[in-house]
Amino acid sequence: MRVSYKIQDRFDFGLFAPMLFLLIIGLFAVYSSTINHPVAGDNFYKHLIWIIISLFIYFFIFILPKNTIRISAVWIYFSSFFFLLLVLVIGDVVFGAKSWIRFGDFGFQPAEYAKVGLILILAYWMSKEKEKLSDALTIVCSLAIGFIPVILILAQPDMGTAIVFIIITITMLFWNGLDLFTMFLILSPGVVAIASLFGWVALLVTLLLVAAGLIFFRKNIFISVTIFIFNAIAGFAFEYFVRFLKPHQQLRLASFIDPYVDPTGAGYNIIQAKVAIGSGGLWGKGFMNGNQTQLRFIPQQWTDFIYSVVGEEFGFIGCMFVLILFFIILWRLLKLATNAKDRFNSLVVLGVFMFIFTHFVINIGMNLGITPVIGLPLPFLSYGGSSLLAVIVLMGIVQNIYKNRLEQV
Amino acid sequence: MNDDFLKLLVRKRIILIFVFLFFALVIYELVKIQLIENVAYLAKSEENSIKKMEQQAPRGVFYDRNFKLLVTNKPSFVAILNPTKYDSKFDSLIEKKLQLDSGYIQKVFSQSTTSRFLPVKIKKNVGYDFIAWYEENSDSLPGVSYEIEIQRDYLTDISCAHAFGYTNEITSKQLQEKKDIYSYGDIVGSTGLEKYYENELKGQKGISYILVDSKQRVIGKYDDGKQDIAPVKGNDLVLTIDYNLQKVAEESFKGYRGGIVAIEPKTGEILVFSSSPTFDLRQFTGGIPPQKWKELSNDPKKPLFNRVSSAKYSPGSAYKMVLALAGLEENIITTSWTIGCGGGFLFGGNFFRCTHAHGSVNVTRAIEASCNTFFYQLMLKIGLENWAKYSRIMGFGSKTGIDFPEDNSGLIPDSNYYNKVYGKGKWKKGYLVSLGIGQGECSVTILQLAQYASLLANFGETYQPHLVKGIIENETQNYIPLKFEKVKTPISKKTFDIVRDGMFKVVHGSGTARSVFIPNLTIAGKTGTVQNPHGANHAVFIAFAPYDDPQIAVAVLVENVGYGATYAAPIAKKIIEEYLVKKNNIEELVETTIIN
Repeated sequence: MRVSYKIQDRFDFGLFAPMLFLLIIGLFAVYSSTINHPVAGDNFYKHLIWIIISLFIYFFIFILPKNTIRISAVWIYFSSFFFLLLVLVIGDVVFGAKSWIRFGDFGFQPAEYAKVGLILILAYWMSKEKEKLSDALTIVCSLAIGFIPVILILAQPDMGTAIVFIIITITMLFWNGLDLFTMFLILSPGVVAIASLFGWVALLVTLLLVAAGLIFFRKNIFISVTIFIFNAIAGFAFEYFVRFLKPHQQLRLASFIDPYVDPTGAGYNIIQAKVAIGSGGLWGKGFMNGNQTQLRFIPQQWTDFIYSVVGEEFGFIGCMFVLILFFIILWRLLKLATNAKDRFNSLVVLGVFMFIFTHFVINIGMNLGITPVIGLPLPFLSYGGSSLLAVIVLMGIVQNIYKNRLEQV
Repeated sequence: MNDDFLKLLVRKRIILIFVFLFFALVIYELVKIQLIENVAYLAKSEENSIKKMEQQAPRGVFYDRNFKLLVTNKPSFVAILNPTKYDSKFDSLIEKKLQLDSGYIQKVFSQSTTSRFLPVKIKKNVGYDFIAWYEENSDSLPGVSYEIEIQRDYLTDISCAHAFGYTNEITSKQLQEKKDIYSYGDIVGSTGLEKYYENELKGQKGISYILVDSKQRVIGKYDDGKQDIAPVKGNDLVLTIDYNLQKVAEESFKGYRGGIVAIEPKTGEILVFSSSPTFDLRQFTGGIPPQKWKELSNDPKKPLFNRVSSAKYSPGSAYKMVLALAGLEENIITTSWTIGCGGGFLFGGNFFRCTHAHGSVNVTRAIEASCNTFFYQLMLKIGLENWAKYSRIMGFGSKTGIDFPEDNSGLIPDSNYYNKVYGKGKWKKGYLVSLGIGQGECSVTILQLAQYASLLANFGETYQPHLVKGIIENETQNYIPLKFEKVKTPISKKTFDIVRDGMFKVVHGSGTARSVFIPNLTIAGKTGTVQNPHGANHAVFIAFAPYDDPQIAVAVLVENVGYGATYAAPIAKKIIEEYLVKKNNIEELVETTIIN
């Protein structure tokens, strides 16, 4: 092992500096959108305190010995299960979802904690037995690890977090060497089931695509037919199952596909967010000068619609700056995931990469009206203690891995 | 991951393709809306922002029992300054016109908790003279405007402040609890009937969609107001209060502290609900000025305190009928049981005094002359548990169930209570003696005393006391009478006959309240003079009339003045006279007119 005493070799400023910039931009945006608010006026100070606490934890995790994270993986995952169950029993309902556990004034979202647990346990499980990589049982277990919490999360219901769980699980399997055919095998029933929500035509077209895929893979006829039948059953069974849901649950599924089902609620927010960003222009209207933000056209703007504050007050330049910072972080993470000598480390970093990328895509997409409205915060910028702590803790874990990246444990 | 390094690079590239694709899409979208279509979006944001505005609904109004309008609504002007357009060089002029202190406007601006883009309500209840002056000069006063707010209006000369209650802007705590119904700045009932009947009174807020520009200037109505929802007025309340009677009560209580309740025994309808001293609700319209609030809450006479159903007092001798009922109904005594009163009673080494030496007295005579010696001994004879049982039967020690937010239970001690306070076996029978004359640790409200008078009047049957008879639904204008629960005691008529006879003699025999006698009217009553640690005795009087067919039951308590017969009884007399004599006179007048 090459030992270097240069600090750059033990601490990646390429990951730390952009994060710090994003946190500062987030502080400005939270300040602008809440400081004059009658109810949320002290959110800026709360946000600042959360950042300071999170950064302390970040450096604490950085200095931990190299094996600590691997050892804690199982504990974090199973304790997160406990909290996910607990929240369904004693949780507070906020905006229609039972996702908060409160201790007096302090509240936290177990789903955020569970995201950290998921990444660690999957990396732990997949890196345990190298030889059994393509073993069907290993894959099935990995899927179980990722998808069982999804049931608890959907019960809250928190669609955004459920999507994050599914995407992280599948991408980590992919990173671990899953072949294309198995990927196809895992993904196709889900795609068919979702397609069934869009009606008969969509379902049939998707099934035809599945058939085409099966022909492409040129497996033997018996396997291909079995998979096709399985897919068809998934599609029809899901369609049938939806009919037995209660009307409000059906409506929730419908608004997942088309947010304009509720034009005065979610639809209104998209329109107003787009107007805010579009009206920002090249340089923006200036800090504390965005009329859309200051006149509070977007409810709860400081959480999921924080990017529209940046867009309105700091304009195209501000938006691009945020994008570049995210790009640097994502780039460095992917590079580290590739370079890390240890399989566990590589998988954890890839998991963190996927975590940030999924949140980024869904949140920015929602602000620009590209993706449907799914409540997910923008990492580093959105107001909200639990989600901020989760992403900074993950970045701390990555920094710890960076320190040991050249070691094989 | 050396083992499949090449493969990993491929996988990395696949992921990178997704990353690049998404960044390209976002940048394309940003360029499109922020750079190319910026002007259109800017125009939308500057000129075409739809703002949802809530419109206050008028609250339901109050009528008295004879449909006399008591409380209604009035429009009021609120002066508004819009900080983005307003020029501070007008400060001194506006402050002078609105009679505000110098520097007030800048103080309000700097303390404003809302955005500096939003208009500030600078003064409520602005006079017509300011509006007229503003209308003449509005062109030269940028950023100054006014709006109309709906406020409570009190039409009559009665106060009735504790019963009516006041409204105020919703507190942040209330807002947290009922986020889905109310919003910031809404007016809600804070006390009294305004609070209890809030859901009936509040109506439904209207919604109007207006187009505003970035400076919050109103450009016009959105979609010509087709999407607007008009506010709906709340439902009206028809009270049980009798305006004339309430007025007499308030006038005769001027200068005194205390309270009076009058009830129609057959229905439980409250005719008079008056706590004194009172305050003027007109001072509270459109929000309570902090200075006024401070002044009222620091007043040593406590005008804001509701003495009728919140304050607890020892009932004094007015309570003696409870013992009489218990003794007779439990067959512990009969009318032939007599004691000799030599001016007091020696028990456990203490001498409990009586007012006079009454000689030989039975239960009727004891009520008539208010003989303490009789009731000291009766208390020991019936015991604490029976005393507590009959206290509860007569409505003491528990809430009356009145349709009003304040309904104090009072305190009726029993052996559990004494065990808890003094320890088991550590309290003496001597403690009980004073309970026999309504002193000591028992306490009641004036409302409970009035209900007690009702039960005595109507042989143990009445309805839960209430202040609202019915509701006039705004939508249909139908009158919907409210139903209240029946209150019934298990005590026999025979027992009531004996006790009521005693109360009759209090006024018509040689009793303590002969001064209440009104020609052609039969009144039964009982005086009380309550010792208390706050100074002179409280004067108490409960009564009902007419004796054979009771139409009114009254309870009066005057704080720290002296004898019940001297101070409380005359007020009760005035109420009964006003209610029965004038009412009968009118009826007689009607009858004679018909005969003639």
